[in-house]
Amino acid sequence: MVGGWIELVVQADNEAVEAVSEIFSRYGYGGGVAIDEPFDQESDGDNLRIATDRPFTVRTYIPDDEGAREKVEALERALWHLGQMRYVGPLSTTRREEEDWANAWKEHFYVHRVGARTVIRPPWREYERQNDDIVINLDPGMAFGTGLHPSTQLCLIALEERMRPGMRVLDVGVGSGVLTIAAARHGASSIDAVDVESVAVRATRDNVARNELTTPIRVSVGTVEATEEFAGRYDLVVANIIARIIIELARPLLAACAPGGRLITAGIIIDRADEVRAALDAAGLTAIEQHQMGDWVCIEGTKKYG
Amino acid sequence: MAKRVKAIVKLQLPAGKANPAPPVGPALGQHGVAIMNFVKEYNERTSSMVGQVIPVVITVFEDRSFTFVTRTPPAADLLRRAAGIDKGAANPLKDKAGKITDAQLREIAELKLKDLNAVDVDGARKQIEGTARSMGIEIVG
Repeated sequence: MVGGWIELVVQADNEAVEAVSEIFSRYGYGGGVAIDEPFDQESDGDNLRIATDRPFTVRTYIPDDEGAREKVEALERALWHLGQMRYVGPLSTTRREEEDWANAWKEHFYVHRVGARTVIRPPWREYERQNDDIVINLDPGMAFGTGLHPSTQLCLIALEERMRPGMRVLDVGVGSGVLTIAAARHGASSIDAVDVESVAVRATRDNVARNELTTPIRVSVGTVEATEEFAGRYDLVVANIIARIIIELARPLLAACAPGGRLITAGIIIDRADEVRAALDAAGLTAIEQHQMGDWVCIEGTKKYG
Repeated sequence: MAKRVKAIVKLQLPAGKANPAPPVGPALGQHGVAIMNFVKEYNERTSSMVGQVIPVVITVFEDRSFTFVTRTPPAADLLRRAAGIDKGAANPLKDKAGKITDAQLREIAELKLKDLNAVDVDGARKQIEGTARSMGIEIVG
């Protein structure tokens, strides 16, 4: 009978990771091994790379039963032998209680309110709609946009203020579909949504279905381009991406807006806000406003007429 | 979207048979990742490779959303197959579990190159050689 677990952890350099993992997989439960990889990134997550000059953390788990001690000793011996050939840090062991692993993570997700009347509800939580609430049923899964990120919250607030019934909307970098669903709830007449990642397109389709929306919503893999397909078609365009991409897409984003249409951009780290403003200004955005939450900003404005 | 990364976790799991028990549960649970979504997706993507260990690299973002890519089987698995053995030696300094040729070593290094965080094939080769030694596998000719 399993009475909890023993977590075994060791640090190793990049070149020893495979060898340590092999030893761990001999003794770990189900042969499973977990490796935390060190990494570097810019302040907004751009240019992510693995930091091979820093130690990796390798871990495995064994059931805390009568055979546990023997396994830990065998593992220590094997690591000692490996340690004769290359540097391996000391083995640390920690007792972990058994948990309902399949469901414990759900504790992290609550019903949460954003702005004045937007409410995001995970499927396993109950919520009773009040007054003019906009309720978004969202399964936080693999695609970005659980509604917890400041940049997503800034977009939801902007949509509360700017959306009017009957607007034609374009959502660039749709992620989980959270903004598309919000726009539909605010009365969009039609929505086109694109994302370069197919996992996001699938997540959006699932979440749209979960919300039983009647708005025509077209979701596809791709990005916005300065072509006939997008040109001047939208009353509101939202792009919650990242500074570098918004700068790159400044012209196509503006081209997609109808004259006098609104562009909402976010996912912009404060350090790069000036660059994004300049790019959007050069592309024809006027009456530019900037809103901030934590380190993140949302930059919005209207497209010049003519 | 603004994907600031919170953690990068690599898991070595049996293809098509991942479940929320350790190491998946504690390794991903501490980051608040939707574990069942991961397990389901991993098992689907690796269902044709049952019987092999297929490592997967999961990138967890600040808002607890995540993405993952599967990798080539671990070097140890490939070495065992090349040497025709079931497991490595208990004391690799003294005992030899089997042997592989230099050409086989190079082949494995080339296959694993893109997954190893190695600069070039020589770097990958060094890592695979180390793994082989730690398993008591001799490299000949």
